[in-house]
Amino acid sequence: MAFGHTSNVKAENDNRFHLEGLVVAKQLSLVPLASPFRIERLDGPVQDCNRLLDLGVTPGEEVVVTHTAPLGDPLVIRIRGASLALRKREAGWIWVV
Amino acid sequence: MSCHPPDTEAPGPSTIDLKDQNVCLVGMPNAGKTTLMNALTGGNFKTANYPGVTVSLLRGRTKPEFGASRNLIDLPGVHSVVAPSPEEELAVQVIEGKHAKVKPDAFVLVVDATQLERHLKFAGMVARQKKPTVVALTMMDLLPRTRLVVDPARLAETLGVPVIPVDPRTGKGMEDLIGELDLVTRGTSVPYKSNALAELPREPVAAFMQVRNLLRQSGSVMHSNEADSVTAKIDSIVLHRYLGFPVFFLVLVSLFAAIFWAAAPFMDLVSSGFAMVGNLVTSISPDSVFVRFLAEGVIGGVSAVAVFFPQIMILFFLMTLLEDSGYLARGATLVDRPLSFLGLHGRSFVPMLSGFACAIPAVFAARSIPARRERLLTIWILPLMSCSARLPVYSLLLAALLPAAALTAGLSLAAIYISSLLVGALVAGLAARVFLKYRTPSLLAMELPAYRVPRMWPILKMTWARGSSYLQRAAVPIMIVSAVLWLVSNFGTTPERFIASTPKDQSFAAQVGHKMEPALHPMGVDWRVGVGLISAFAAREVFVSSMAIVFHIENTDDDEQIKKSLLEQMQTAKFPGTDQLIFTPSSITGLIVFFFFSLQCFSTVAVVRKEMNSWRLAGFQLLFYTGLGYALAVITVQSLRAFGIA
Repeated sequence: MAFGHTSNVKAENDNRFHLEGLVVAKQLSLVPLASPFRIERLDGPVQDCNRLLDLGVTPGEEVVVTHTAPLGDPLVIRIRGASLALRKREAGWIWVV
Repeated sequence: MSCHPPDTEAPGPSTIDLKDQNVCLVGMPNAGKTTLMNALTGGNFKTANYPGVTVSLLRGRTKPEFGASRNLIDLPGVHSVVAPSPEEELAVQVIEGKHAKVKPDAFVLVVDATQLERHLKFAGMVARQKKPTVVALTMMDLLPRTRLVVDPARLAETLGVPVIPVDPRTGKGMEDLIGELDLVTRGTSVPYKSNALAELPREPVAAFMQVRNLLRQSGSVMHSNEADSVTAKIDSIVLHRYLGFPVFFLVLVSLFAAIFWAAAPFMDLVSSGFAMVGNLVTSISPDSVFVRFLAEGVIGGVSAVAVFFPQIMILFFLMTLLEDSGYLARGATLVDRPLSFLGLHGRSFVPMLSGFACAIPAVFAARSIPARRERLLTIWILPLMSCSARLPVYSLLLAALLPAAALTAGLSLAAIYISSLLVGALVAGLAARVFLKYRTPSLLAMELPAYRVPRMWPILKMTWARGSSYLQRAAVPIMIVSAVLWLVSNFGTTPERFIASTPKDQSFAAQVGHKMEPALHPMGVDWRVGVGLISAFAAREVFVSSMAIVFHIENTDDDEQIKKSLLEQMQTAKFPGTDQLIFTPSSITGLIVFFFFSLQCFSTVAVVRKEMNSWRLAGFQLLFYTGLGYALAVITVQSLRAFGIA
């Protein structure tokens, strides 16, 4: 759960990290608003992740976090032309690059 | 082909009788199914319930100008077939032909043109059934707001199903849709080369990939992931960090204002109308017991339900309006954090809000909560929301408690309302952790639909369909309970014989009241109040009128007059044979506490039983809240007295 955060600051403006396979995945709950990311994988409870897949949250898709609710949770994401409200906890299962 | 005489026409596909065929409208939520339903039926639809399921479907018949009259069934929208909600489960059962009662002959697949990928992926499941299917492409009018391009004719070729662009809001494309449906049902349409939609993989990732390929082939441009410009603008305010909650509270306050103030004149109209009918019936033969039973027991009972009808219609109307405009999902997003902490769901705010009008429509409104656990918990706390049937009771009791302080009474009433919400939150939080072993919330993943200007006519039709369904379901139990309560409070036995129309203090209800005296004394009241409390199980506001009866208030035409003379009676009422006053500050406070918690509404119990399909749950809820109310009332009265407040 808690791996993968250490080097995401370093990745900024560093060309090597934009190569396939070298980019460090981040959790969707931690990415800045309004910037597009690509989904790398889902990592969470099987049933919930299967429902997310079925809703169109699939690896390879572009996703944007468009809003944060005033209390900080849930987030509103944009995917496949739809807006979905996701709790931070759920967004944390979505790893993006 | 040789020509043949018309009367010996060979049985072929063209002889299929389209009349009475079941045509199911299927699609994802917010695709515009209900608006389409409205356009195809001319607003002539109603909600239909099926035994064993709590989900109600909309049923109607196609308008006469669309040829053979067919049954139209609007199935609940399906987001996903994984971990489905009860509504989704029912829709999937019907689509797959596994439902015992609803057998579809053909499908109208409603597809949102602005979200083709997700909607076509769902469409694959429907196309797989190999039933006659036509795609109705909605939201075409939203395309100019976005950068998307869709070509329906090429899309049809690529997918292998007819695609008809429709605008159910203006009625455009309806003839084409029905015409195409006739062709595919009769099997006389020109077959497509492709069968791509029916051959979509079941596995979601592969299916989405395939859908994208098909869309590319059909020349559709789907590169944009931006919300349409109008939706983006409204969301930037509605979901704004500082403006979001003020807007939300404004919406809530307007809702409350409409439910309580705008409904008031209509409620007065209904209650005086029923009073008139009651008097008319009584005047036929004032001495006949049966006529009195009819006037007081039956008509009075109907009146007790009907008086809330204007309020509930306004509630349904505004809720449908908010739902259709797209705001409801945003409101649910705003409050999801505190509610999910309590074990509820963002959407629970709708039933909770409805609960301030009446628990019964609130229980129905809980259906929109996908997970059973969150729905159960929402329904569990609904009886605590201060429903409007409590209002006459509180206003009587507060007037008795604070006779010369209208302002304090008003503030106390406001405090009661707010406390009911806070106590509801507390009970939910505790029940989630104690009974439901709540650790983590179930998946939210709630779609926020694009904003649309709601259309009045379909909303009014929908309001009527929901409202009349409510009346049908609530009226019968309330009528029965009210009739039975009238009988037990007007009939009784004396040692010699069974007497009809006995004096109030010898009726069955009074006997029960007397038997209950040991339990009532700790609450600081006598058997007469006990009779009021029992009769309030028909509907809480009946407490006022039955108190008027047991305290011998005549002149029952004018509500204000009743209240005034009842208040005078209450100020002097003493325990029989003593000088001890019944209605003291402590006993009145105790009664308020009792009404705050107690589930004194058999109709709610009946509806919860049906909704959760469990007598045990409904019974437990009744005992829990009524027991809690009694215990807390006793504690309140006794501790107030211990502190020297009589």
